[in-house]
Amino acid sequence: MIEVKELRKEYLDDSVKTVALDGVSFNIEQGEFVAIMGPSGSGKSTLMHIMGFLDRPSAGVYKFENQSIEELNDDQLAYIRNEKLGFVFQFFNLLPRTTVFDNVKLPLIYTKIYEDEKRKRVLKAIESVGLSHRLRHYSNQLSGGEQQRVAIARAIVNNPAIIFADEPTGNLDSKSGQQIMEILQDLNTAGHTIILVTHELYTSEMAKRLIKIRDGQIISDELIKERKLAKNGLIK
Amino acid sequence: MRLKDSLKISFSTLRTNKMRSALTMLGIIIGVGSVIIMMSLGKGAQSLILGQIQSMGSNIVYIEPGSFDPKGGSSAFMGTALEEMTIKTLKLKDVEAIEKDPLVDMAYPMVYGIARAIYQNRDEKVTFIGITPEAYIIDDWHTINGRDISEDEVKATARVATLGYKIAKDLFEEEDPIGKTIRIKKTNFKVIGVMEERGMEMFQTFDEYVYIPVTTAQKLLLGIDHLNAITVRAVSDEAVAPLTESIRLILRETHNIYNPEGDLSKDDFKAMNQVEAANMVSQVTGILTAFLSSIAAIALLVGGIGIMNIMLVSVTERTREIGLRKAVGARNKDILNQFLIESVTLTLLGGIIGFLGGTLFSLLISIILSKVLNTNWSFVLPFGAVVLAFGVATVIGLVFGIYPARKASKLNPIEALRHE
Repeated sequence: MIEVKELRKEYLDDSVKTVALDGVSFNIEQGEFVAIMGPSGSGKSTLMHIMGFLDRPSAGVYKFENQSIEELNDDQLAYIRNEKLGFVFQFFNLLPRTTVFDNVKLPLIYTKIYEDEKRKRVLKAIESVGLSHRLRHYSNQLSGGEQQRVAIARAIVNNPAIIFADEPTGNLDSKSGQQIMEILQDLNTAGHTIILVTHELYTSEMAKRLIKIRDGQIISDELIKERKLAKNGLIK
Repeated sequence: MRLKDSLKISFSTLRTNKMRSALTMLGIIIGVGSVIIMMSLGKGAQSLILGQIQSMGSNIVYIEPGSFDPKGGSSAFMGTALEEMTIKTLKLKDVEAIEKDPLVDMAYPMVYGIARAIYQNRDEKVTFIGITPEAYIIDDWHTINGRDISEDEVKATARVATLGYKIAKDLFEEEDPIGKTIRIKKTNFKVIGVMEERGMEMFQTFDEYVYIPVTTAQKLLLGIDHLNAITVRAVSDEAVAPLTESIRLILRETHNIYNPEGDLSKDDFKAMNQVEAANMVSQVTGILTAFLSSIAAIALLVGGIGIMNIMLVSVTERTREIGLRKAVGARNKDILNQFLIESVTLTLLGGIIGFLGGTLFSLLISIILSKVLNTNWSFVLPFGAVVLAFGVATVIGLVFGIYPARKASKLNPIEALRHE
């Protein structure tokens, strides 16, 4: 599903060259739950941005469903983000003064499907994160955990092939974090491919595969033998 | 992305920043409103004056002292009043000369002045007008009680008068004025007739006029031997244009003006007919309207800059939102359209309010002018103004919205998402 080969990303800031990714290679198959872990500045966010079609690599190959990012223009990237990908961010990024319903609907206003169908999908997504009773509430009236669940509903409303979660528990208390991780594991069980970016070991061990990254290079890539289940509680 | 979704976002943004949106719109409201007012009042004034000129009669040539300003424009009006008072070349013998022209049906000379008319202990300000009997026919204004001034009374410098309806009422109330004596400027006049009620026409209140023989007015009341105007009626509507030219030639001869090129600015009189007067008025009011409207347009420009300013602020404030929208699949085009629609919503809403306000204000003024000041002013809303108001509002939204919208659409989604 995802093919990454010798991926490089360099930034040029005031003629100072920073290497964020220094030749990264791996494949990800459908149905995987991959945690990408590393300290801040390791390049894990850059990697996620490229895999999420939010940024382009400086060199190397990135293929998604056998389509190379080089062959796609900006509008096509937007189309893939809209149809195939879902994002969950550390800071939720919900629209303020906007209802839960409209927040979840956001990706669908950029698609051409019937309004009735959109409504159905939004309600289903909200139900799957257990927030049906909050439908008409404004996003700023919700707790942090609830806000992140709205963000997850928004990420799955277009039924994406991959969900990217960038430090989804980083801004939550442990109980809310546990709920979020449980939802992600359930989504993975339901067939969604999930890529989790984190710097915490205990959340990364809830994935099925762990890629450790440091200074723009992969230092380990292995399957997790003793996978932790979120519903058993978070042990820090 | 559907228009409905964009509009929904626009209105929710406007609601969120109510005060800011209202203040931003104010510039557009004032601009569009004042353009509407200028155009409506300009058109109203024009149609009022043109209407008055229509009532002058299509077979009439009107002669006044003075000359046409070669440049035209508003200074022609400024010069007129002064020239009418200082140029003394228009004489009774001019009337005789003009009447010899075969295209002339009839003509009457006119002098006028303002004085107090006294009857017993009552005292009214009147405009006395010296005329010959042709005036009753040409002006189509008749005595309903008593009789007209006769040709013999003009020749004899008789002290007789026919009174306008209102003057007769004010001076005599229930009494019959016929045969009574009134005093104007220490001269006794015998009232021989009362005129029918007429109202306002050509900015004149006929009902407050007193008609007396032209000779009497010149010699006994004013001590002059020139005229203020001559009104000529042509034998037919078609004869008006050639007659106007013919009158100019006659008057140049009697006034000893050498003007073979027919340069109107060299004459000491103005001969006007309905068509020429209408053209002149249209030109002058047109220039005036355009001038005032262009001042109002500056308000629109300032309003547009306000729109651009607030849209730029909005783009900065909503950087994260833009990043998020891009992350979930908005194309640059979608973001551009969204911000353009927001700025056009602002300006169009301002345009609608400005249009309504301007229309209401113009309506109010026309009501004051027609009902309170008793003129024939009618409310006109030029179709051009409507198109202009909405067209200009939209264009301003687009022109001043495009820069902020482009800025928003070009934002890098990652940096936008990181924006604090």
